[in-house]
Amino acid sequence: MSGREVLSDAAWRERVLAGGVRPRRYGSWYVAEHRIRSMRSYGQTILATSIGNPLIYLFALGIGLATLVDANLGDDAVQGVSYLVFVAPALLGLAAVMVSAEEFTYPIMLGFKWNPIFFGMNAAPITGGQITNGILISVLARMVPTCVIYFIAMVLFGAVPSAVGILMIPIAVLTAMSVGLAIMAYTARIEQDKGQMALIMRFGITPMLLFSGTFFPLSQLPVYLQWIGWISPLWHGTELGRVISYSLAEPAWLTAVHVLYPAAIIVVCWRTSQRVFTARLNK
Amino acid sequence: MTFAPTRPIGPARNRFLGAVYARNSSAVMSRGMLATRSSNAAIVVSGFFEPVFYLLSMGIGLGALVGTVVTTTGQEVSYAAFIAPALLAVSAMNGAIYDSTWNVFFKMNYAKLYEGMLTTSLGPLDVALGEIGLALLRGVLYALGFLIIMQSLGLNLSWTAILALPAVVLIAFGFASLGMAVTSYLTTFQQMDWINFVMLPMFLFSATFYPLSVYPEPIQWVVQALPLWHGVELIRGLTTGALSVALLGHVLYYVVMIAIGLVFTTSRLKKLFLD
Repeated sequence: MSGREVLSDAAWRERVLAGGVRPRRYGSWYVAEHRIRSMRSYGQTILATSIGNPLIYLFALGIGLATLVDANLGDDAVQGVSYLVFVAPALLGLAAVMVSAEEFTYPIMLGFKWNPIFFGMNAAPITGGQITNGILISVLARMVPTCVIYFIAMVLFGAVPSAVGILMIPIAVLTAMSVGLAIMAYTARIEQDKGQMALIMRFGITPMLLFSGTFFPLSQLPVYLQWIGWISPLWHGTELGRVISYSLAEPAWLTAVHVLYPAAIIVVCWRTSQRVFTARLNK
Repeated sequence: MTFAPTRPIGPARNRFLGAVYARNSSAVMSRGMLATRSSNAAIVVSGFFEPVFYLLSMGIGLGALVGTVVTTTGQEVSYAAFIAPALLAVSAMNGAIYDSTWNVFFKMNYAKLYEGMLTTSLGPLDVALGEIGLALLRGVLYALGFLIIMQSLGLNLSWTAILALPAVVLIAFGFASLGMAVTSYLTTFQQMDWINFVMLPMFLFSATFYPLSVYPEPIQWVVQALPLWHGVELIRGLTTGALSVALLGHVLYYVVMIAIGLVFTTSRLKKLFLD
């Protein structure tokens, strides 16, 4: 048996534990790296949608629809600004939310069920909490560049009147992460695919898009529909974006709520996701 | 016990289209209905709500900002009455495309459903017509529900709105037959994203949310070449009661689209599974 070291039990234990030190410390980054690499398989679509969608939406809403709105209400159509300026912060938030909706639904289910790679990661010394963090990092790595590209398109269209408008990027990311983590806290639990993903889109994302004061001020809706906006992170993010972009007048406490509400969702749903991941992987 | 074919096999082959069509597409349809009942009924029902949400949001909220809109025929209508027919056409398109792409792709490549069907007496045209028939049935039910909502909100401006029902079938048929033909060329799920990539601009630009006249002329031509624009104009003409010869042109567009789609789909299925 040449070439094989003879070690005592204690020495083996030490070596095995030493092998786990790095994954234990950097596990989240390993998971993130894996997921970013796997995004390459649909890299072309990511690229095409992150450049194409902003142009399409800005053109359709900011130019097309704005023609109608401005013709009806004048140049300072909505809240004292043109329709394009009004709708831009909402479009940025929406773009980030769409990334969230895509990355926190099927891919989570995939990792647990169809291609159960989370169990494989967990068999290495990587914890459920680290896998959750790794997913977060990888989604940020896709979402932030998407928002930056969108923002550049908005500036080129003349949709950002103020220089501090660049803060709309972190706001959009905050909004979308609160939506995404809420989705993950739910999807991580799903054991049987009964079309829950389609239902999330139809009864979660679509109404959120339509009733969050995205395309018109929330006050245009009857009061019995306005509550959808109040509980929607997208509304809070969009309003905050409007305060930043064109100094939309609103009380300071409301601005604080726009920051604290999504942040609270992130903290709660992040912890919940980590717990659900850990429990499910160690079942 | 003796086995006798319920239908003579020999003559069927000599019949027109006998090689690809066994006159039994209803078997494919009823299988689909059974499968819907047992697996994704909730999703089917939820599909009805999507255009309703859009109508409530855009019609009420955005309508207040936009006021009235002038249609192609010069009629001045409320914004809700302007977008409602467009949403109906869009939902016919989306339903048909979803059924004929994601659904068909899964059945073709993962469930291997069609291979099984084609080893029976069913031919590729039976399969194509059966799948499309199922999609159309669903589309008509959604459309009926949506038209009732339009009626109760006072958005149907003429009795001809009832003709929107067959128009929806025509539109859905066109997209379904073409969608299935395209799907038969796809090999991976990722390629499906490109379909969305074509659908989104078509959805936003086809005079759905504002009249075509806001665009410069060259862009108008491009939009007018796209199928959804013809669908929107057809249904808008019917619900607002602005009948004109142009409507016949839109119908003809879809008839041609259906014919091309069916020929493509059938020959592709034949090539994939029978040759």
